[in-house]
Amino acid sequence: MSVLYLVISSLLLGMLVGKYTSLEFGNLYELMLYLLIFIIGIDIGKSRGLREELKRLGKMALLLPSATVVGSLIGGLLASILLKVPPKWGLAISAGFGWYSLTGPLLANYSPVYGIIGFLANLTREILTIIFYPLAIKRIPKEKAIVMGGATTMDTTLPLMVKFGGTEITLLAFVHGFILTAIAPFLIPLILQLL
Amino acid sequence: MNIFIPLILGIFVGYLLRDRIKFSMDRPMSVALLLLIFFMGVEAGRVEIDAPKLLISSLVFASFTILGSLLIALLGVRE
Repeated sequence: MSVLYLVISSLLLGMLVGKYTSLEFGNLYELMLYLLIFIIGIDIGKSRGLREELKRLGKMALLLPSATVVGSLIGGLLASILLKVPPKWGLAISAGFGWYSLTGPLLANYSPVYGIIGFLANLTREILTIIFYPLAIKRIPKEKAIVMGGATTMDTTLPLMVKFGGTEITLLAFVHGFILTAIAPFLIPLILQLL
Repeated sequence: MNIFIPLILGIFVGYLLRDRIKFSMDRPMSVALLLLIFFMGVEAGRVEIDAPKLLISSLVFASFTILGSLLIALLGVRE
């Protein structure tokens, strides 16, 4: 539990620094992300029984991303009804699956306001996943709780899931995020053009 | 897809050194995770938020997409 407090403290401290200072960290965020992914890679590489793990993933590797797509779109549609936002924007925002750096600029091409909402909503999804994943897995299976993170489970939220869910969910989380990362860049423009 | 380079490199290094790496990767992972989250917080803090309405909308969208995903996963995915 102490790690969770450190995670939340780290996030809040970062937000305060970002809001109230003009400190520049360059591309340290990306470098840290690559370092983490590298460490995770080492962890996977040195673990034995990788082949058995991949076999064990089986249909879950496809079912979980499908659940995330359907669930996110239903959630986005309900949110748009609640907020009285046109459904196509609600669906497009939710089709980002947490990938805020893609969703924001993509939506901003069509509407600056929805671009900002798309960015913030998907950033918030990532932040909520960081805060609530460790709590959620106390009540629901840790494999199914992966869907919370959407596309971010292949990078930014992957270390957190591995930390709290265990090394055994690394591949499942990565494959889940990878599939959604491949879908989002096609699905968002498709929704905006078709609806 | 730059993310694949460190991942594949890490898997390769880990596989090659699997008999030599005796320590747990838990601690380096925790340190790197905390730093990553700090820098993510910095990025989030820099976003100018003028309208509370935008914040509420974002929170509603984020919550509903997470809950929707969880609901479908819990109801529809069987292990």
